[in-house]
Amino acid sequence: MNKYLSDTKKYLLSGVSYAIPFVACGGILIAFAIAFAPMTPSGPDFSHAPFLKLILDIGTAAFSFLVPVLAGYIAFGIADRPGLVAGFVGGYIANVVGAGFLGGIVAGLLAGVVVFWIKKIRVPIYLKPVMPILIIPVLSSLIVGYVMFEVIGSPIKDIMTSLTAWLKAMNTGSSVILGLILGCMIAFDMGGPVNKVAFFFGAAMIKEGNFGVMGACAAAICIPPIGLGLATLFAKTLWTQEEHEAGYAALAMGMIGITEGAIPFAAADPIRVIPTIMVGSAIGSVIAMIGGVGDHAPHGGPIVLPVVDNRLVYVAAIITGSLVVALTINALKKFGVRKQA
Amino acid sequence: MKFIAVTACPTGIAHTYMAAAQLEKAAKRLGHSIKVETQGSMGIENELSENDIREASAAIFAVEIPVRNKDRFDGITIIEVSVQDAIKNPDAIFTKFVQS
Repeated sequence: MNKYLSDTKKYLLSGVSYAIPFVACGGILIAFAIAFAPMTPSGPDFSHAPFLKLILDIGTAAFSFLVPVLAGYIAFGIADRPGLVAGFVGGYIANVVGAGFLGGIVAGLLAGVVVFWIKKIRVPIYLKPVMPILIIPVLSSLIVGYVMFEVIGSPIKDIMTSLTAWLKAMNTGSSVILGLILGCMIAFDMGGPVNKVAFFFGAAMIKEGNFGVMGACAAAICIPPIGLGLATLFAKTLWTQEEHEAGYAALAMGMIGITEGAIPFAAADPIRVIPTIMVGSAIGSVIAMIGGVGDHAPHGGPIVLPVVDNRLVYVAAIITGSLVVALTINALKKFGVRKQA
Repeated sequence: MKFIAVTACPTGIAHTYMAAAQLEKAAKRLGHSIKVETQGSMGIENELSENDIREASAAIFAVEIPVRNKDRFDGITIIEVSVQDAIKNPDAIFTKFVQS
């Protein structure tokens, strides 16, 4: 059972590893385009900026691959190349029926398992060459497509719809709780599946006209790498040479909203680092939530500042969260070192 | 002894290469030879040739995602470890194999 779970994690991460560049590319292009377009009460206005509109469209194109690529490469992880078609098709359908990111994960796993079993079927030798290029893709896509359209798609969509409705009716108390949860999720696996669930939730809410969720995520996204990068600068002796180098990289990645910059630190010392960055990100996202920070682009970090509402609060949220991370982790490290000596 | 290894982490920008460097260092320290293929965000680098694979006593997979082109390694002893193991305690991977 344990082996089964760790394998599933491997497959999910396989999908995430291929989807990351799409998200980064799409997110940054969209943020760039929105940042330079004149802002109106109904959102950015592209009617007099055809070139920015072009960049926005390119970014949106890259971003729209997020779910298909994720699903496709989850299936690829399980069943290798024959799994790609059903995975991509399932992921595309997840987008179409509005089942989004969650739907994509389900589609990818389903496609992988289906193809894995089809591959096990013994076929006559003359059928072998047509299995991977014809029979497996057609059969598996039919199965996965049917399940996505007819069985799983709409329940997941309903979850998304009721979430949106709940957000609209939310009061201050629950917005603090939501901020806490989002912040913890963003920091928990630094760009992994849990992080992407929170992120995608924020991104999906932008489409629904609610920018606050993404605002909270955007602050939380950059706090782990920036906070840990600052920590290496604050207390040079506590960190190794490699960690100092990773610290500079983390700062740079934090500035452009890539939580993955924190991974080297968390991997070296997960028990201290992960809870610390979860606290920091949670604080940042709660501040952003209460302060009415809105983010119009599906991306985080200081780089999206131009497209953020209530910029001062946004900056304050990032600084506060990062300082909490830096000071806490250094204090914990010092304590740990003393204990060992 | 001759070893080959594949390293791969989800993001493919830091850990993949840290693990590769640690394995190379440890092999040198213990008097083994090793060739490490990295499957990072740049794709496959320092790719293992058929010869490399045939001559190796064992293949070390330090991975968090599935190894690409895994069928190349059919019939060879595979030591599967986490990327963490390779970064933190690479020596143990070699000594454990040599002992058994």
